[in-house]
This record gives sequence, structure tokens and C-alpha cells, in this order.
Amino acid sequence: NSPAPLPERAIYGFALFLGSWFGFILYLIWAYVPETWLFSLGLTYWPQKYWAVALPVYLLVAVGIGYILLFGINMMSTAPLNSTHTITDNYAKKQQQKKFQEEAIPALRDIPISEVNRMFFLPEK
Amino acid sequence: MAEERRFRSASGAPIALRRRQHSASCRELAVRGPRLQLRSLSAATSAVWLAAYGLFALSENSMVLSAAIFITLIGLIIYLHFVKIDQESLLVIGSLGIQVTSSYASGKESTTFIEMGQVKDVVINEAIHMQKVIYYLCILLQDPEDPQGVSEVVPLFQSSKPRLDCLIEVYKSCQEILEQRKTAPQSS
Repeated sequence: NSPAPLPERAIYGFALFLGSWFGFILYLIWAYVPETWLFSLGLTYWPQKYWAVALPVYLLVAVGIGYILLFGINMMSTAPLNSTHTITDNYAKKQQQKKFQEEAIPALRDIPISEVNRMFFLPEK
Repeated sequence: MAEERRFRSASGAPIALRRRQHSASCRELAVRGPRLQLRSLSAATSAVWLAAYGLFALSENSMVLSAAIFITLIGLIIYLHFVKIDQESLLVIGSLGIQVTSSYASGKESTTFIEMGQVKDVVINEAIHMQKVIYYLCILLQDPEDPQGVSEVVPLFQSSKPRLDCLIEVYKSCQEILEQRKTAPQSS
């Protein structure tokens, strides 16, 4: 699954490039060409031209609301000050205590908050 | 034996910590916040009354003015009775428990008592609070099933929010008392 260029990916890329150009030119024709000209060509079943302006506006307002929504979701997911999630979690509760070996680096583990506090705030005499 | 020291809260307001030692195993720590300032009270009142006068000038309805007076009075009473906390105190009695008291500006006091059997430890924790990371003191309650686990966290000094230097003083005082219960044999 490497991101290296492959012949198939080049073909997909070119097809997408052509498709997006085609879609853009179609959108411009639909938005700008008067309805009578399109009717005279026999193409009558188009959406209302109102949507040529409405859809981009909807999209931009959604992007703007998305910023505020993301900020709000972050604030809601933050644990309140009285929850135990600020101190521990499922992984820390289930961790196994490895035996202490001489002259070896101690295994990585979650240190309980009481121990951390004692080390930081109580001066060792 | 009482001593009082000045500190700053997390937002910069001046607070005072008062420590009293009642006996070898009983300590009282009280954090006193700033009193309601006359200038902020007058600023809020003037703002509300100016807005009401502007509405009155627009609508020519004199009820707006009396409504503004009512709102100011009732808002002030609600603020003093339910919101403005003058002093938060912590009374640690070695063999008995911990009592947390909040005194409001109107004189109301709200008290919580936690017995020592439920208290696992008193620690300084840091957490995210409203786009800031603050240090706060909290009581860890013991989980009855799991001796290593914490069932609940009770944050202390929530309205005065002292900074780390004040919290370290309170933490050291509490730990001196909590250590005694490990060395003293448990009778119950």
C-alpha cells in the first residue's frame, strides 16, 4: 500500500481530471446559458437555476459552521474536573506489574497520581 | 495558631490562605477570595440602567425603567446568594474525616463532609478547563471493591482557583495529617 506512482493510478488521475473539467464546464453552461437557448436545443429537464447559486452558498456556510461545530465538539468531549478520566483510564487500570530486574531499565508504566504528587511536591529530606 | 498568606488565583485576583492548627491531627485551611468591589457593582448597575433608558427613549414605555430597577435588585440578590463565594475552607481531622465549606457573600454556608474511611488521598491534579490547563486540589475517594482504584474525584476550591504555590502549601498541610493514619494503627 505504498504511495508510489503506478500506471493504474495515473489513469485514475487523468479520468478524474477530465471528469472534473467536464463537470465544471457543464455547471457553467447550466448557470449562464439562458433557458430559452437550452429549450431550443431540446434540453428541458434541468434543475432550477436558483440552485446554481444556492448550492455553493450552502457549502460555504456549512464550512463556516464546521469550524464552530468542531470547537464545540472539542469542548464537550473534554472531561469535567470531577471525572476519574483526568486521573486514570481503562488501560492504566488493567496494566500488569512487571518484576523489577537488577541493572535493567524499568518497564514503562502509568505511575499513580499520589506517587507523582509526592515526588513533585513533598521535598525529600 | 493561625497564619495568613497572600497568593493569586488562576485569573490573577488576590486571594488569602489562612492556616490554623487546632491540634496535632486537626488543621483548618481557608481560602478567602476578593470581596465584591464597589466599582464593578456600580459599573454593572449603570450599564443596565443606561440600556433601560435607551429602550425607554426608543419605546416611550415607562415600565422599562421599573423593570430595570427590579432586574438590578433581584440580580444582585441572586448573585450574592448563589454565585459569589467569599471563602472556601477545608477542615482536616486526622481520624474522622474532611469537611469542605463554602461561604457565600450573603452569609449562606454550604458544607460537605467526607469520612476518612472513604478518602484515598488528597492530590494536586492538572486538567483542561475552558481553554486553559489549571492545577486544582482534589480529594480521591476510595473504591470499595478495588483498593487501588478511585471511585470519585471531588475538586476543591473551585471558585477561588488558587495557583500552584498556594496549592502546594495546602497539599503539604493535608499530607502531614493523612500520613498519620498510615503510621497510627487502625482501630476500626
